[in-house]
Amino acid sequence: MIGGGRLIGRLHSFAGGDMSASTLILVLIALAALGFFLGRSRALASASGNAQALHSRPHFYGANAALMVLIPSLALFAVWTVVAPLSIKADIAQSVPSGLVDEGKSLDLLMTDVRNVAEGLDRAVVAGALTSDAALSIDTETTDVRALLGGVGVALGANVGPEVLKLAKTYRAKSASSSNIMTGLVLAAAMAGLAFAFLRTNKDFRARNTVEATVRATLIFAAMVAILTTVGIFFALIFNTLEFFQLYNWKDYLFGTTWHPHSGGGSDQPLGLIPLLWGTIYISLIALAVAVPIGLFAAIYLAEYASPRVRGTIKPLLEVLAGIPSIVYGLFALLTVGPLLLKVFGNEGLGWMQGASSVMTAGLVMGIMLIPFVSSLSDDIITAVPQALRDGSLGLGATPSETIRQVVLPAALPGIVGAIILATSRAIGETMLVVFGAGAAGKLSLNPFEAMTTVTAKIVSQLTGDADFTAPEVLVAYALGTTLFVVTLCLNVIAQIIVSKYQEQYS
Amino acid sequence: MFDQPSNLAPQVETPVTTDHKITAENVNVHYGDTHAIKDVNVKIDDKTVTAFIGPSGCGKSTFLRCLNRMNDTIDICRVSGLIELDGEDINHAKVDPVQLRAKVGMVFQKPNPFPKSIFDNVAYGPRIHGQAANKAELDEIVEKSLRSAALWKEVKDRLHAPGTGLSGGQQQRLCIARAVATAPEVLLMDEPCSALDPIATAQVEELIDELRENFSVVIVTHSMQQAARVSQKTAFFHLGELVEFGETGQIFTNPHDSRTESYITGRIG
Repeated sequence: MIGGGRLIGRLHSFAGGDMSASTLILVLIALAALGFFLGRSRALASASGNAQALHSRPHFYGANAALMVLIPSLALFAVWTVVAPLSIKADIAQSVPSGLVDEGKSLDLLMTDVRNVAEGLDRAVVAGALTSDAALSIDTETTDVRALLGGVGVALGANVGPEVLKLAKTYRAKSASSSNIMTGLVLAAAMAGLAFAFLRTNKDFRARNTVEATVRATLIFAAMVAILTTVGIFFALIFNTLEFFQLYNWKDYLFGTTWHPHSGGGSDQPLGLIPLLWGTIYISLIALAVAVPIGLFAAIYLAEYASPRVRGTIKPLLEVLAGIPSIVYGLFALLTVGPLLLKVFGNEGLGWMQGASSVMTAGLVMGIMLIPFVSSLSDDIITAVPQALRDGSLGLGATPSETIRQVVLPAALPGIVGAIILATSRAIGETMLVVFGAGAAGKLSLNPFEAMTTVTAKIVSQLTGDADFTAPEVLVAYALGTTLFVVTLCLNVIAQIIVSKYQEQYS
Repeated sequence: MFDQPSNLAPQVETPVTTDHKITAENVNVHYGDTHAIKDVNVKIDDKTVTAFIGPSGCGKSTFLRCLNRMNDTIDICRVSGLIELDGEDINHAKVDPVQLRAKVGMVFQKPNPFPKSIFDNVAYGPRIHGQAANKAELDEIVEKSLRSAALWKEVKDRLHAPGTGLSGGQQQRLCIARAVATAPEVLLMDEPCSALDPIATAQVEELIDELRENFSVVIVTHSMQQAARVSQKTAFFHLGELVEFGETGQIFTNPHDSRTESYITGRIG
């Protein structure tokens, strides 16, 4: 066994004490590789070179050692990187002189300044504008800090006062020592893992099972991250939504039929959900009315009638359509479809339409956008229906179209319903296309040629611009987000129920 | 017995020129570049069970699928030669394969009930071909078909349960009932028992024997015991050729061709 302490010392001095994150990760990978070879060779040595005598194949011993190096050290690294800045910030915030905050600046803004100055000093040192000693002894009397940092690309909103500079220096010192401690601890954890795995390795050690368990734990962790993130998003929305409902009556929001926010309007401005929800539903319905029949028929043609050559050409083309960003469809709606509809239904024509932006414009283009979505998924599902079912039907003297209608489509129905629900979720969540094609006014109308707007488009417009994050007309965006979240969640649950009901019957 | 029209069969003019239900002359089948069936000549009698036996890949299923033009559904498959049903060329341009398949029903190797109820599975063919004038007639056809497939007693209380919920053997009998319901004149069975256990197999074999009263049955099988038990005529295929065709008893006890003897004694295939 090599002297672990000495190695850490050497690595430490090699990286000059303040090892950057990328260097640290490279060192960890190198240690893992070392662990792999040490583990493998020790296992082989313990069986006097006879791999048959080992419990597991040699590379499992190596993998075990490598995992023992990587997992604890990387976990420590990740946790420290997230937690350390928070704790440093809290530390510094406590030492802020009370006079500074009272000047009308919030503590958050001050802390942002401090962090910017600290990071600016770091950059200045790296860029060579300051020596590291000069950065430690810098003061506002002799140097124009704002100009200096501006020279290295860090723009500050105001001149740097002596207190802020002092706090920034403390911040730098604390982060430097924190990153030194972290480097040491991470390397120690890696070495400890290596030593632990190395000492455990002998010919009877069940390395294969250990690696299997470790891999499983890692996979479970990855799944948990996805779920926890969703929960986190949900809570973030919920808290902000509750904040909104403290300022604004929830009945007025949920059942209000007018949407007319104005800045500084307080709690008596109309922020009714119904017009936005109606716009969303109306546009989605039109989009589905376009996308579902066309997409489904296209899928049936591709799956049942097209020759392999035609299918091989059309299917990739359709999938290219699915890859076009929705903003491009938005331009198409704004510049082509809208004016075209206006020519027919506008004042020169039938007179139903006032401007190019309308529910119909957005719905039609969104329908076109969803066609490849529906057709590609449905095609896969129809193709997956066993040939035996088609043979059975054709063998009874049914025509191909009878076979499709009565046998293939019912068998593919759960999947097709799933595809349609997925398309609906996309239609409801679509934003850019609506901003371009449907207009910006929340309106409650049955005329599809009138401009309306959707929940998503309004979330964008409420949060952009000069937003005051304590006003109800801005916070309503969170309530809209929560509404959207709940609606899509319900939709997915309904889809699951439908799909599982049919699956019970048909599989 | 040959002259009596079956009561299930639609009225077809029976030509006097032949005693045989199906006559195949010089039938060749190509799958792309593969010559799958070579110059096969065979005559299939009415109200008889004819068994096609032979090792895997010998072309017996392919030939069976020629008899109701199921090979039309495969793009690369080309069929040549003359196949006559009651003296009419089934590959003639004016013959509609859909009509033909109503007369020549088919049961497949794997039970393939549709994702529908038991009733709807059996009623599928009669509904498509408009064979029942009203609901009562349809009920009658379904009951009769299920009875002739020996499935009625087991399913009569759950006709509206999904057909896919039945056991493997029941599913296969359901598929037979489904084929019988369209009142075909010929029933083609492609290894109908290969996915079944011995008990279900025995039931299906018994059924085949009963079906002989009304239909001409052609069955492809890997089991020589099954061929011997259920068939009156046997055809032995080998490498795409029809090696020997004759009375089942003669084929199994006194084969004329050495290849047939090798196969039935287990030396090839």
